[in-house]
Amino acid sequence: MSAHVRVPAAALLTRGCALALISALLVAGCGTSTGKIAGRSGGTVTVLEVNGGVDSLDPGFWYYQTDYTDLAQTTQRWLYGWRARSLTPVPDLATAMPALSDGGRTLTIHIRSGIHYSPPLAARTVSSADIKYAIERCFLASVGNGYAFDYYGEIEGAPHEPVSHLVNIPGIRAPNATTLVIHTSVPVGVLDDADALALPCTAPVPQSYAERFDRGAQSTYGEHQLFTGPYMIAGAGSGTVPHSSYAPGRLLALERNRSWRRESDPIRSAYFNAIIFRGGYSKTVASREVLEGTSLMSGDFTAPPPAILAEALSSRRSQLYITPAQATRYISLNTRVKPLDNVDVRRAIGAVIDRSALLRLIGGPTLGAIATHFLAPEMPGFNVAGGYRGPGYDFLSHPEGDLALAQHYMRLAGYRRGRYEGPPLSAVAADEAPQKNVAEAIQSQLAQIGINLELHEVPHTTMLTKYCTVPKAHIAICPNLSWGKDFFDSQSMIAPIFDGNLIQEQANTDTSLADNPAYNAQIEAAKEVIGERARAQAWGRLDRELTAEAYVIPWLWENQVSFASANVKGVPWAFNGGAWDLTASSLK
Amino acid sequence: MPAYIARRLLWMVAVLVAVTFITFIIFYLLPAVEPAALRAGKTPSPALLAHIRQTLGLQRPWYDQYLHFLDRLLFHLDLGYSYQYDISVRSALAERLPATISLTLGAALLWLAGALALGTLAALRRHSLLDRLVGALTLLGISAPVYWLALLALFLFADVTGKLHLLPGAGSYVPISEEPLQWLESLVLPWLVLAISLGAFYARLLRANLTEVLAEPYIRTARAKGISQAQVLLRHALRPALTPFLTAAGMDIALLLGGAILTETAFNIPGIGRLLYEAVLNGDLPMIQGTVLVGAIFIVVMNAIVDLLYVWLDPRVRLA
Repeated sequence: MSAHVRVPAAALLTRGCALALISALLVAGCGTSTGKIAGRSGGTVTVLEVNGGVDSLDPGFWYYQTDYTDLAQTTQRWLYGWRARSLTPVPDLATAMPALSDGGRTLTIHIRSGIHYSPPLAARTVSSADIKYAIERCFLASVGNGYAFDYYGEIEGAPHEPVSHLVNIPGIRAPNATTLVIHTSVPVGVLDDADALALPCTAPVPQSYAERFDRGAQSTYGEHQLFTGPYMIAGAGSGTVPHSSYAPGRLLALERNRSWRRESDPIRSAYFNAIIFRGGYSKTVASREVLEGTSLMSGDFTAPPPAILAEALSSRRSQLYITPAQATRYISLNTRVKPLDNVDVRRAIGAVIDRSALLRLIGGPTLGAIATHFLAPEMPGFNVAGGYRGPGYDFLSHPEGDLALAQHYMRLAGYRRGRYEGPPLSAVAADEAPQKNVAEAIQSQLAQIGINLELHEVPHTTMLTKYCTVPKAHIAICPNLSWGKDFFDSQSMIAPIFDGNLIQEQANTDTSLADNPAYNAQIEAAKEVIGERARAQAWGRLDRELTAEAYVIPWLWENQVSFASANVKGVPWAFNGGAWDLTASSLK
Repeated sequence: MPAYIARRLLWMVAVLVAVTFITFIIFYLLPAVEPAALRAGKTPSPALLAHIRQTLGLQRPWYDQYLHFLDRLLFHLDLGYSYQYDISVRSALAERLPATISLTLGAALLWLAGALALGTLAALRRHSLLDRLVGALTLLGISAPVYWLALLALFLFADVTGKLHLLPGAGSYVPISEEPLQWLESLVLPWLVLAISLGAFYARLLRANLTEVLAEPYIRTARAKGISQAQVLLRHALRPALTPFLTAAGMDIALLLGGAILTETAFNIPGIGRLLYEAVLNGDLPMIQGTVLVGAIFIVVMNAIVDLLYVWLDPRVRLA
């Protein structure tokens, strides 16, 4: 259920602490006049990974945090991109933000000329037709993209389900080599503000080269791809990624892409000469090696184990980089299971949960802040929804839990003794610490108001794919869910979790099965709102209202704790939830 | 003998088919994860999920799926594709097997040699200080979990994380074909950890067996005939005492060849065990099935080898 944040983290960060942290980052992030962060060129860095590394080599598939860190930012340029510190997209291959016309339904984008691909097509430059093809291929079943239908589905003529053969989308036109025109049937806010154009589906792919790899049940373009970013997979200039540079879960080696020019790239500095990703480590060993070794960085995990983190906080603080992850951890309450169909019961659950205790269980304040509503810090609309203090709902105002208030809500729900007296409710949690500890704590906290949980602990993937995202499994409570943004637009946090129109039989993200037609309509309306401020208002208001319904009980705004060897100047990437921007990081 | 070997081979095939059937039933019919959802990404549409199910053949009846799997396995040696990495399971296994073999055989050599020496000495000098020392050390070795021993070794002796910086640590493994010296260095710590953990049990086992055999009347007879102590030990005592030792060694080596999960995980050795661990964590069913099958093959083959060695070690044993 986590989006970019695959590996859970957590803990309390007070408002003051978080503000101090953000200020410190802004000061530390003072970069060059181009907006890039200064660093020293040269050297090789090795990133140690624990959870399998990248999912796929194909830009059309990249979606998770590790894909972005390891490959998306390093090896490809997109239409729009994200500087390390920026919370809004900036032109990357584009020369400026989209020019809007026709009430926001037509976007005209000009792209840079003279951007070359890597070998074996080094003579070829990027054209707007390549970006059209890149977006179109994201609808191919053989590519398996996870977001094209959500964000590009309103482009005129876009398929509504995965297609086995490429479909020409008339709503995307390339009238000349440097102009791209996108026409949508309704205004789409996340396209107009370029957020959804700052995703790897817009990394150019030349059709004449790629279409032979895109045929068949599974595209193999990833293994033969062309690169436009500062790095490429070592040896891939031959046209095929060699086994010596990519062994899934074990090794990924990047070398410089000689076709890339620093002066043409407004986002990336690319200080390292080479980047090696080594997988297969246990978290304990990887953490120790990174902190005690040289030229090493943490990879696809959120924080060191608690004991090593505590040690590092006292003796190696300068090697830790703690940033908000723009992800919220929450307890999902199935509104189709009695008594959770009653809003007062759900509020009682919110009131009785001791979120401070949960935070301590997962490792303490370094790992996050106690949540008071769903939108995470730094997301547009966060302040509209009440900021750190929250919207002021009493049932979320007591981090330590308030039993009397919970009993009050139970009485409002019709339970005169302030306790539920029905049969136990089913709950499914992950079977690894700290998630299982959190679930067990929630089990004992809910017992105070008579809600007994029949708790099943299963592997994390089982919890997600067999239970919590499958409505017919009828799981009442899922205590270990987490959701991160796709980009800095709150649609990507709110809509998947609360839009009843998106409920489906499998891989369902609206796990509480919230399906209120009024909210569904508000969500649809908010998607069409144009303008940064107006969108923040719309989604922030929705967050307040949805939080009041207690479909889910948000309890943690997660932090990412990245860390590096003492000789590495790591730069967290705000867009990617605080994971590294390896094109801005450098050796000291 | 040829008839015996032929029967064993047939039996091995039957066992392996049964293993494939059981793993198929467990992992395909009662999957711990939904394969299509696992492969589909974060917010897949129902149509994409349906397409993936069709691509993976999950919409077909179970027996059809199994026959298709068996057909691919037996006639094409094809174990399908990993859900997580989208690579051929067969090639992943082939790539990982050398690391597991390197780890297992090196460790087996150390633990068998060590256990033979310590177990024999302890049996010959029963109740001596040496015997007590061996007893204490082996108890320690048996009691220490292998994962704990591995972390201890890394934090004491590994070059980055250790206090003494003596040997390469986690993630240092390279294939012997690339860097023979680094291959050797990278495996010293894992070999020692496995050898300590397993050798301790074998030393105690051998001591107990040898003590029992040395008390047999035929040993007294041999000694009465004036045969030297060394000959008594090597020709008459050690061979029968080694029979249970060999049974256990055969099984342990087979299990480790099927994947030394904890050791490979702690030292980040890219072997079959590490692959199985990752596959289980990610619900990667074809990979789980492939690694289980490899483990089963090693077990049945080692079983057959052990049976043949019995005959050589103890002439009283006859092949039926």
